[in-house]
Amino acid sequence: MRILREWAAKTQGLFMHGREDHELDAEIHDHLELLQERYRRQGMPAQDAAVAARRQFGNLTLLKERRRAQVRFLSPGEIWGDIRFGMRMILKKPGSNAAVVLALALGIGMNTAVFSFVNALLLRPPAGVRATGDLLEIWLHSRTSSGVQSYFPFTYPDYAYYRDHSRIFEGVLGFDGDGTRAIWNRSGEGQVIQGQLVSGNFFSLLGVNAALGRVISNADDQLGHPRAVVVLSHSFWQRQWGSDPAIVGRTLVLNGADFMVIGVAPAGFAGILVATEPDFWAPLTAQEQFTHDKDRLDSRHSNWLIVAGRMRIGVNAVQAQAEMHVFADRLAQEHPDSNKELDAIAYPAKLVPGPYRVYVRAFTGLFMAVFGLVLLIACTNAASLLLARAANRTREMAIRSALGAGRGRMIRQMLVESLLLSSIAGGAGVLLAWWIARLLLELVPPSLPITLEVPLDWRVLLFTVLVSVVTGLVFGMVPALRSARVDAAPALKEETRSAGVRKSRLRTVLLIGEIATCVVLLACATLCVRSLMHANSIDPGFDTRNIAIATLDPGTLGYSPQKVAAFYRQLMERVRALPNVTAASYTKHLPLGTSREQTTVGKDRSKESDLIPVDVFRVNPGYFATLGVRFLRGRDLTQKECDDEAAGAVVINEVLARKVWPGQDPVGQRIAFGGEKNTSEVVGVVKAGKYRSLGEEPIPVVFRGSLPPARTLVIRTSGDARPLLEAVRREVHVVDPMMVATDLQTIEEYMAFPLFPARTTGFLLGASGILAVALTAIGLFGVIAYVVSQRTHEIGVRMALGARRTDVMRLVMRQGLYVTVVGLGIGLAAACAAARLLSPLLYGIGANDPATLAGVAAGLTAVTMLACYLPARRAMQVDPAVALRYE
Amino acid sequence: MVDKKSDVLQGTLDLMVLKTLHALGPLHGFGIARRIEQISDDVLQLNEGTVYTSLLRLQQQGWIASSWGVSENNRKARFYSITRQGLKQLALETENWERIAGVIGRVLRLEREG
Repeated sequence: MRILREWAAKTQGLFMHGREDHELDAEIHDHLELLQERYRRQGMPAQDAAVAARRQFGNLTLLKERRRAQVRFLSPGEIWGDIRFGMRMILKKPGSNAAVVLALALGIGMNTAVFSFVNALLLRPPAGVRATGDLLEIWLHSRTSSGVQSYFPFTYPDYAYYRDHSRIFEGVLGFDGDGTRAIWNRSGEGQVIQGQLVSGNFFSLLGVNAALGRVISNADDQLGHPRAVVVLSHSFWQRQWGSDPAIVGRTLVLNGADFMVIGVAPAGFAGILVATEPDFWAPLTAQEQFTHDKDRLDSRHSNWLIVAGRMRIGVNAVQAQAEMHVFADRLAQEHPDSNKELDAIAYPAKLVPGPYRVYVRAFTGLFMAVFGLVLLIACTNAASLLLARAANRTREMAIRSALGAGRGRMIRQMLVESLLLSSIAGGAGVLLAWWIARLLLELVPPSLPITLEVPLDWRVLLFTVLVSVVTGLVFGMVPALRSARVDAAPALKEETRSAGVRKSRLRTVLLIGEIATCVVLLACATLCVRSLMHANSIDPGFDTRNIAIATLDPGTLGYSPQKVAAFYRQLMERVRALPNVTAASYTKHLPLGTSREQTTVGKDRSKESDLIPVDVFRVNPGYFATLGVRFLRGRDLTQKECDDEAAGAVVINEVLARKVWPGQDPVGQRIAFGGEKNTSEVVGVVKAGKYRSLGEEPIPVVFRGSLPPARTLVIRTSGDARPLLEAVRREVHVVDPMMVATDLQTIEEYMAFPLFPARTTGFLLGASGILAVALTAIGLFGVIAYVVSQRTHEIGVRMALGARRTDVMRLVMRQGLYVTVVGLGIGLAAACAAARLLSPLLYGIGANDPATLAGVAAGLTAVTMLACYLPARRAMQVDPAVALRYE
Repeated sequence: MVDKKSDVLQGTLDLMVLKTLHALGPLHGFGIARRIEQISDDVLQLNEGTVYTSLLRLQQQGWIASSWGVSENNRKARFYSITRQGLKQLALETENWERIAGVIGRVLRLEREG
């Protein structure tokens, strides 16, 4: 209470000190005059009376100073003085301070970089959207399964139910989560553009108004008679139309149908889903034009809509969630076949969809922890350096304290200095973070259609400021407290030579901590880098060289099956005729991508319950030869078998063969598919590969024909696949000028996708490990070198008394060795625990891999020994005569 | 050591100022200094400036209030008066002081007897 009142007075003082000071001056002046008058009346001469009055009144300056301290927190002048003095002290030792700043800047920079991703993914609200706090995202959740696979987007009928019945929400909007690719017929040539199908209330609920024309309204989005209209994104309008204001009212031919441009969205608005940047928006109910799926709007099994609602005023998220549960239960009763066991979960609307946030959090959390440790090492470094320097400044502190500086005043001075260092480092850190974030975005494989904005906005800057201040306090506090606890008398009498037992013990603890942290980081980093190397060498079961791929979808143009087949036949003929092409084929999708098809299979006439789940790949003849998948038995499918499902022929992999026909030859056996009447004949068995992820256990797989219109073209060449990409683009254009090949890439580029998590982790952890070792080595070197310089006198005495050079060497090295060994011990134990957390990310390597731990221990010992050896050598070269004379 | 001594003195001065205002009613700084000088019979060597430090402190605590008025010799002066809260505090501190003085007195007597 007392403190509160004082603070209140001080806060008041901030605003009215001018008048108050003036009044006090007047009061004091009157007081002095009255005293003077009294002395004069007692018969004193005027001058003596003035002096006597002053004497009786006491120290005027001190009084004013005290008063200032009472009414004010700190005077700006004083702080400015501290800062100026601090800058002078820093500039006095530019070398060592630059080292501290660099170390801290690296630490702060890495943390800021990771945080800028956390901000971009989890904190930043979607740009250009009104009151994002009232928006809730809704996901369907299957009670019978767990993990991210248990969450589903909405079907259109489910969405319509929630939209029409909610009392909690002002409105419920929906849009297609995967986005919609469309082929834009631009004067006879096809061009693929990205769209997003949105409900009629999408723009109004988000509070987004058109920059030009109007946005999509409910009237545009009527079930049964949708209007063929689109809203263009601002950047698309700028890029493709040169910001032509006459765009509104024009017609775009998308997938062969006419759409009228009704407006342009405001700049910066890109919807509310992370990493998507639509070129246009079209009404949901117009989906058939894009997907050619007649039943999608009626289907209770087609989950494709991301749904969000805006809460009414005065309603909270708990009430909204309750309503969602009620709706889910009601739908589960009404439609048990599709909605049984389906619940609805509401999340605050953010750029990353609710169910995925936990993974993003875990991933970024790991890196925050790792770079937090790096920053801690940098702090320890800075602290031990400042401690060493504080010992050098004992004399200065003693003089200050003798002149009347209070303990608080001295601590403040020291803290201002460390805060100055950390602020400079923070500034440099922001620049570094900007650069690192750009570098990390480069790691995103081109096959991922991600356009991620990682802005350095106020949240990131606030984070950096906080981290810098905390850093400055953390590494500055101990040296500050230490230096303020100076005993003036002995320090002024004679500078003592010994560093003091207590001080060096604290430094030792810091160094041990630093080395232990370094071991943890280095062990984790080495594990990740080694696992990355393993992952690179894992055999995916197909060749990862000399293959070109491209995806095609003539279905978007609404072609008939005959026309699609003709297109693919012609294209294949032309592709096979290209120079250097040795094989080519189509598949619905490639292994290790994002797509997956699953079914169940078993022996002929086996019960439904005996069927085992398998992954299905739909392929054309030559697929295996093109990808270099080896046949163990039997033959490839023929074109006839691929085109006609009734021909009933499949190829299986060895895993399925062993599971269903152990010890038998599966070729010639018949295989039954769950939910299908006809059985198929197994005509071949191929070697197993990796299908879902590189780290998986072998999975049973069936290869069969009947490809849909959307296909991936795979081409094998005898040389470099890169020049082939341009040729394929050209051939597609020749066969059909309206068709466009997308995702043209070499197999190496394709493989960047499955390797992406391991590569990013490896890159970041590798960087952290290298940083940690460098910082630790610098820290150890700095401290040992300082200790040696402090002990020059002592070493001189020892040598004068007959110590040999090797003894001196041993003396210095022993100190370094001690911290290293203790630090290693603690660090290895901690590393074992930390590595266990990492194990899900590791490929083909145990979390407690002894070779890694031994290697880290050996490497770190070597580095620390080198860091000790250099100063030790200097100690050996001490000339006793010089060292003693110096005294 | 030096710090502790001044602490005691500080508290004592606050108490004396409070009591003075309680006993004599609203007074200006000069008047308070005169009163303390008079009562202490020169036993207490007081830098009169510290009276103002004390006044400010008391004011910040809300134990006294101040207002501008005209002094007996027609000068504009700031008059300080004790507040309701200050009265409470004075009672508390007086009791405190007497208790401590009593204890110290007893201790000193004990020593003389022993």
